[in-house]
Amino acid sequence: MSHGDHSRDPCPYVILNDFGGAFSMGAIGGGIWHGIKGARNSPRGERFVGSMSAIKARAPVLGGNFGVWGGLFSTFDCAVKGYRQKEDPWNAIISGFLTGGSLALRAGPRSAFGSAVGCGILLGVFEGVGVLMNRMFAQPIPQMQLPEQAAAPSAPAVSAA
Amino acid sequence: MSFLSGLFGGSPSEPQEPSASAELFGSTTFRSNVTPSSSDPSSSSTAQHSSAPTTPAPTALDTFGTAFDPARLHPLAGLGDKIDFLQLDEEKLNDIQGAASVLPSRGWTDDLCVGTGTTYLSGLVLGGTWGLKEGATRPLGNNPSFKLRLNSILNGCTRRGSFMGNSLGVLAIFYNLANSSFDAIRGKHDAANAMAAAALSGAIYKSTAGVRPALVGAGLMTAAAGSWSAFKNFV
Repeated sequence: MSHGDHSRDPCPYVILNDFGGAFSMGAIGGGIWHGIKGARNSPRGERFVGSMSAIKARAPVLGGNFGVWGGLFSTFDCAVKGYRQKEDPWNAIISGFLTGGSLALRAGPRSAFGSAVGCGILLGVFEGVGVLMNRMFAQPIPQMQLPEQAAAPSAPAVSAA
Repeated sequence: MSFLSGLFGGSPSEPQEPSASAELFGSTTFRSNVTPSSSDPSSSSTAQHSSAPTTPAPTALDTFGTAFDPARLHPLAGLGDKIDFLQLDEEKLNDIQGAASVLPSRGWTDDLCVGTGTTYLSGLVLGGTWGLKEGATRPLGNNPSFKLRLNSILNGCTRRGSFMGNSLGVLAIFYNLANSSFDAIRGKHDAANAMAAAALSGAIYKSTAGVRPALVGAGLMTAAAGSWSAFKNFV
């Protein structure tokens, strides 16, 4: 498609969508994960209570971490797209770099740079895998039927006559 | 004048259609019969005719033979290169009654994501402001350095902001899930739906604190949802 996919909103609004999507993913996934973990770590008879308290304590935090990461990434992605005026894998890599860097900013420039490079490489791997999958599963473009071929059934009748 | 010129109207100033679609549709059927007429016995008339402006109009063959160009394929609609508007039906928008919102929604996942994202972000901003105020006014002994003050502010922001954002975000997840379920069950969206979903989500959110807080939470959320619905009606 020439104009991106229509399954997502245009750029400024997609940030809200990504924020919420990442937060929901983190919170619901964290609820399941910490529910099981809390139940396993509790003594018998206290399993439900332990599971609930683990969910309450940790699932929103995990959701928040996911949400901030996803929202920041989406924001940077939109900014990079707007600045570069093109859509390619480099957008994701650059915004991954910026996200990792800004999330680790309080730990000092050295640590921020390390985190940024790590995030950029991670996103680069993701994008590379995505491109490879695209190539692997892309259907070959079907040959368009030419008008003569469509009219071919009438030709034998003419030659026979 | 032969029959050929009679067929074409005979006049050298053959009316050139400005519309590309007429050119495309008209030329495909006629030209294939006319062009091999060079081997006709009446060659003089064809020579006379060839002086007429019969520039080779694009035929269907040309269209299929060359590179794909949507503007040429369908000139009537004036699509240009915006041809993927034809594929809008792939992602059908949410057409439940009364669910029209500021952003077009493609179903409950979109509602969940956008609703939660908006609430989480506003919680983050609200809590961040709270933390900023707290950090900026916290006593740090006499004559604190700028670095200490900045650290205090950042600590306040990250503490209050994430707390408020997380709480509101979880509440919004509950609310949106309940709301979408009610919409799907009842087949329409209205204020009663929103208030019921709000009551349910408030009750779930405060369910671990006991019955009384759960009821209070449900009541508060219902009131909030009701006033929000009234506000939306008013606007």
